[in-house]
Amino acid sequence: MDLEVKGPKVYWELPFELPDSSIFTMKNLITQTTVSLLAVTVLLIVIALITSKHITKRPGKLQVVAEKLVTMLYNLVEDTMGSHNLKFAPYIGTLFLCSIFGTLIGTTQLFRSTTADLSVTAAWALVTTGMVWYNNIKNFGFGQWLKGFTEPIVVMTPMNIVSEIANPVSMAFRHFGNVAGGSVLTALIYAALSMASSALLSWLPGALAEIPILAAGIPAFLSIYFDLFSGFVQALVFSLLTMIYVGGACPPPSELPSKKSQEKH
Amino acid sequence: MGLLNVLDKFENFVGVNFWTMIFAWINLLILYLFLKKILFKPLKNMIDSRQKEIDDMYSDAESSRADAAELKSEYEEKISHAKEESEEILRGAVRRAQLKEEEILREANDKASRVIERAEEQIEQEKKRAINEVKNEVSGLAIDIAAAVIGRDVSASEHEDLINDFIDNIGTDK
Repeated sequence: MDLEVKGPKVYWELPFELPDSSIFTMKNLITQTTVSLLAVTVLLIVIALITSKHITKRPGKLQVVAEKLVTMLYNLVEDTMGSHNLKFAPYIGTLFLCSIFGTLIGTTQLFRSTTADLSVTAAWALVTTGMVWYNNIKNFGFGQWLKGFTEPIVVMTPMNIVSEIANPVSMAFRHFGNVAGGSVLTALIYAALSMASSALLSWLPGALAEIPILAAGIPAFLSIYFDLFSGFVQALVFSLLTMIYVGGACPPPSELPSKKSQEKH
Repeated sequence: MGLLNVLDKFENFVGVNFWTMIFAWINLLILYLFLKKILFKPLKNMIDSRQKEIDDMYSDAESSRADAAELKSEYEEKISHAKEESEEILRGAVRRAQLKEEEILREANDKASRVIERAEEQIEQEKKRAINEVKNEVSGLAIDIAAAVIGRDVSASEHEDLINDFIDNIGTDK
């Protein structure tokens, strides 16, 4: 049994001298993930176009479903971030759709899951961190934001800085690890099941013994967990964490003026 | 993918590709702008406008129901008022009729009593006149008789007192 855990296939590398270590590369321009990202984008744009083609006051079936989902999204954002932060709902929805479609596109076997590539989840997590920092500085001012690291006591400063860095890292690795780990596990189980079935059918002559009969059916249930359920949960967790972190940087307007006046003194 | 597939190279399982991150950002940005404009905003606006319409309809229905209830109570009040008014009118009419009746009766009585009074006056006058006439007649007669008895002329003017005394005495004697 030869099972190798590999990253995305590289389709086109740049012909220049560029950093190309095992954990950070700038050489591989087009990979499997790039193609998957493009596929997800095209798919979502097509779905959006079909859904929004006839938005009417008396909705059709498709519009009812879409409206239900949009209402759920706005309710979730309102519950998590407050009604003053509803402007973030479209981004959260986009992030959620990108995440879940990126995970599920791997089940087609034509594409590799975009979220099974650390680059993608890291990029998304960095967007979240960027939004948090931008909104913190915008709402509280640069000095107040830096001062926030020394609270509640100065001794906590290193830990606060570490946790600030740990947030995007843990977000990126959590999402990546769940999806990639799920695909690795699925591959392992496939291999194990085909080994088991060849052992079971070893008395049959020739190629008949190689039919992996046990691999039919069982992995489907595992796929429901590792791809559908886990993909949904990870998309939700990623979106929720983004909402919580960004929401923390955007307190209700009623709490802002006092902090701004504190900063001026 | 055949042309691209010539490279038999895989990335590390756990690694970050700078270009993949850039592509992820570009795709996320494009999808964010596109979905926001095409999907989220129109659907949210539609949901909100429909919600607003429904709210308006409900509040309209509520206000027209309140209007109707107000009108109803107003009309009921008016109707009860009208009943009272009609009773009032009826009572007034009856009272006026009674007053009129009394007045008419009084007037009739007055008229009748006036007629009776006048008739009595007339009778009195007639009586006086008759008495006077009788007096004159009697005095003439008395003078004639006296003249016949005395044998000479009795002047009415000279003996008027005497005659009157005589007549009066006749009256009182009777």
